Amino acid sequence: MSKVSNVWVFSDVSARLAEVVSGALELGEKVSALVIGSNEDVAAAYAYGATEVYHLGETDSSRIVESYAKTVASVLNNGEKSLVLMPGTRRCKALAALLAVELNAGLVTEVSDIEVADTIKCKHMVYGGLANGEESINTDIAIAVISSGTFEEAQADSSKTGEAKVVEYIVPQNEIKCIDRKAKEGSSVDLNKAKNIVAIGRGIAKQEDIKLAEDLCSVIGAELGCSRPIAEGEKWMEHERYIGISSVMAKPEIYFAIGISGQIQHMVGAKDSQTIIAINKDKNAPIFDYADYGIVGDLYTILPAITQALK
Amino acid sequence: MKILVGCKLVPEDQDIAVLSDGLLDMSKAAPKISQFDLNAIETAVEIKKANSDANIVAVSVGGKYLENVKIKKDMLSRGPDELIAISDEKYENILPHQTAEILANVVKENECDLFICGDGSADLYAQQTGLRLGAILNIPTINGVSKVVSVEAGKIVVERALENEVETLEVPLPAVISVSADINEPSIPGMKAILAAGKKPVNTPSVDIEDSKAVELLEVKAPKKKERAHVIIEGDSDDQIAEFVTHLKKII
Repeated sequence: MSKVSNVWVFSDVSARLAEVVSGALELGEKVSALVIGSNEDVAAAYAYGATEVYHLGETDSSRIVESYAKTVASVLNNGEKSLVLMPGTRRCKALAALLAVELNAGLVTEVSDIEVADTIKCKHMVYGGLANGEESINTDIAIAVISSGTFEEAQADSSKTGEAKVVEYIVPQNEIKCIDRKAKEGSSVDLNKAKNIVAIGRGIAKQEDIKLAEDLCSVIGAELGCSRPIAEGEKWMEHERYIGISSVMAKPEIYFAIGISGQIQHMVGAKDSQTIIAINKDKNAPIFDYADYGIVGDLYTILPAITQALK
Repeated sequence: MKILVGCKLVPEDQDIAVLSDGLLDMSKAAPKISQFDLNAIETAVEIKKANSDANIVAVSVGGKYLENVKIKKDMLSRGPDELIAISDEKYENILPHQTAEILANVVKENECDLFICGDGSADLYAQQTGLRLGAILNIPTINGVSKVVSVEAGKIVVERALENEVETLEVPLPAVISVSADINEPSIPGMKAILAAGKKPVNTPSVDIEDSKAVELLEVKAPKKKERAHVIIEGDSDDQIAEFVTHLKKII
């Protein structure tokens, strides 16, 4: 595979810098990191393997990351061919789209596979995961926003250091002002990385019955997840536990689907599980096409019985 | 106050067939309004409830789906006062860099205070159109809007849900906002709204843009399904549950 001479990387959350640096080291001869944050963040970028770091200053609580678009564009616009990699956070998606317009650059989001050839070829899910689209980016600057899990995380090596180049902030017109910032409730769970998942769907009739699934979770050591109607229709569970298109893309060892019919929009987030186990009363439910082990029957009979048996 | 709402038509995904070579057959799939765009329309409708002078215009860009009279009525029955439909066969499988440019042309002819988009479309889910539109127009733009806090003269205050935090943002108007699926529950239009939709104006200007080909869609193909064991037990008697548990004990 050929390589790009320079790959720019940026992440608004420090936890996801390692994966884009790793991707950049694989795809490029040189890795240039853009950092908004502390000197520790600059040091981390060097430790992961960045060749050079551009420091855009400390984070400012009243300023949003997207306001840096013109500043970032001024650094990237150096006449050289390059690739820009960012992780798939909301802020990076927004920044990427703004940069694409500023730099006349082609952009693909949700990229799960990327190849450097004459052009940059990117794969990403389309039609709610029913298919993959392959797109080519034909511009001199190509931007790809990467799905989590596309690249292994780079390991930090604190012996790698360097001096960052300081970049002055360019104030955009009619700047958006951040007037408050608070931690999101219930966001501590990350099902993308869960080893085992028990997920519930419409087959669960009442909110208090979720307890039955929680009992199974504690017996087999699993996180609890759900399909869209439970999170967004009934609002019985937080959005972070909803598995499927535009939410959690889970790859657990064991995926236990309880009362979930298995619509494609949900299965997109579960189909890469190593083993899928299904309980559903409808033997024609699509979930059984995906299942390794399935049982057709009343979940209110089956679930307590297997929880007991697996203790 | 004038509000424009981006509204994409996509094939009903339940009716998309996957052919044996992995290609998709959409010939039996009727058009529907992309899910997030229903949230965008609902956001505009809610703003109008609090600002009775507001005027909502839905804007849709696409191919042959826009010739469908029923779906145009569907868009209007959900609250917009009029529809601008830009249809051309070359816009059949349009990418976001083109859509945003066309919408920017529409805004130049129809100045607005606020343009609302869905965060992404149900077909390509590129999540770029609204943001690109704002960037082309050089006005403030943001994605992931999960709540409209207030609309005042010259500014809108919104909440934006990120992965780990919620930002409250003061956005100067005019602006383009893209809303997330959890901002509201789109209401189902009643009979009165459906009947009224037929009387609302539909404009069909032609907007011609040159595709920069910055990005090209080369192929759309279904991935191969993973092989599964497919051990399915039909019934929930004690014996059948015990048999099921025997299988589970091998893997758990």
